[in-house]
Amino acid sequence: MDVKEVTAECRDAFAELASPAWIHDPYPFMRWLREHDPVHRAASGRFLLSRHADIYWALKATGDAFRGPSLEELARYFPHAAASLSLNLLASTLAMKDPPTHTRLRRLISRHFTMLQIDNLRPSISRIVAARLDCMAQALERGETVDLHREFALALPMLVFAEMFGMPQNDMFNLGAGIGAILEGLSPHASDPQLAAADAASAKVRVYFGGLIQLKRVAPCHDIVSMLVGAHDDDADTLSDAELVSMLWGMLLGGFATTAATIDHAVLAMLAYPEQRHWLQADAIGVKAFVEEVLRYDAPAMFSSVPRIAQHDIELGGVVIPKNSDVRVLIASGNRDPDAFADPDRFDPARFYGTSPGLSTDGKIMLSFGHGIHFCLGAQLARVQLAESLPRIQARFPTLALAEQPTREPSAFLRTFRALPVRLQTFGV
Amino acid sequence: MRVVVDQDLCGTSGQCVLTLPGTFRQRTPDGVVEVCGGPIPQALHAAVRLAANQCPVAAIRVIESEAGDDDAERHATGHQRNGRHDGTV
Repeated sequence: MDVKEVTAECRDAFAELASPAWIHDPYPFMRWLREHDPVHRAASGRFLLSRHADIYWALKATGDAFRGPSLEELARYFPHAAASLSLNLLASTLAMKDPPTHTRLRRLISRHFTMLQIDNLRPSISRIVAARLDCMAQALERGETVDLHREFALALPMLVFAEMFGMPQNDMFNLGAGIGAILEGLSPHASDPQLAAADAASAKVRVYFGGLIQLKRVAPCHDIVSMLVGAHDDDADTLSDAELVSMLWGMLLGGFATTAATIDHAVLAMLAYPEQRHWLQADAIGVKAFVEEVLRYDAPAMFSSVPRIAQHDIELGGVVIPKNSDVRVLIASGNRDPDAFADPDRFDPARFYGTSPGLSTDGKIMLSFGHGIHFCLGAQLARVQLAESLPRIQARFPTLALAEQPTREPSAFLRTFRALPVRLQTFGV
Repeated sequence: MRVVVDQDLCGTSGQCVLTLPGTFRQRTPDGVVEVCGGPIPQALHAAVRLAANQCPVAAIRVIESEAGDDDAERHATGHQRNGRHDGTV
């Protein structure tokens, strides 16, 4: 599609990003936005920032120049909010809260996501990775096509979460099946049927967690759910009923689809750029560089689903963002901004070699985990899952190839997959 | 050089702990960051500035001046007296 033709006058970048025309490669459109309309005001009045410097500033200013939406605003931005269970659950998640509520809630959960805790999970993650690859190997070695997305990329975070939540694996797979529908219901352009599907899935999640909470109350273990139930039962002011369920629901939403998409993107990068595979055969620093570049090159969440509300009039790039506007940041575009990352459309792990996580050799922040107070709680968990997976996939299946083109999930704001069919090259045409 | 963490501000992302595990650590109960030791060895100065710059919520403050070490000390103590927690252990 011709960028100029589509965007000569772009009235709504959100609608454009949701268009099937850009599903395989939205980056030319993002480049157009950065160059022509970096502080885009959509017909809806919602703003979208697409330059790295502006996004970085807005993320850092969240909790200060920007706040989370009030309940009344949620009702305005999401006309169905009052009736929608998903939107109600969303309203109580961490991502929508400002300090001091945000601080209180985040600190309850952050003990399970410290670097030490995640490091302690490494052996379990490693074991799960090995077991899933064993399962795949049998079929692949018989010459069959395997859907790497379903069998590995999505299964891994679900199994890791099952362990962290103290849940049977099958229960997690059942809950996980509804996550995609919920995520799409939260998009600014969700249709009524999409919202209804999201609410049906959210209702199942809520009922399940209701039961799980009772179970953990009777028989607590060393898992996240038991700990949160304990915090709630000690003092409902510390964690209310609604906050408890929203917190668990929010972790499922944030943890699966994004991690899976990044594993998928990593495998696609391995196949597309075989000359870069050597990073995965190197030491941990090389693997880290590859992982960070995958995260930069294809951010799983193109833009934030969380509204950031301007606390006052904000002038940015010659545009005035009026007080109380809903501002979103196009993270995937910031990651491809040549002002932050030279030659941004080239896949080059060297940009992240030997640096602190998320920081390029030029000192620029990779934006996929966000920044500021809402910095992704599961960032390190995702990084460890990627670092434990990619070198093993590479070592175990050096002749891995695409069996068909991957199927992307049609989505207004995520770059996720429905299927990633692979086979071993020795068996194919 | 000295470094202090504003523990009221700390977002518990742990990025500084990844950058400099010997300088920063996270408290067990809530993941809030603490500074492990006293003065920062010269060899780590650049990395500490980087960690401060990279902190998603700008909770890390680097006190550079050699001569001002005493000032910094007083400053940090003052914070604690005012009910703030600077995270120096």
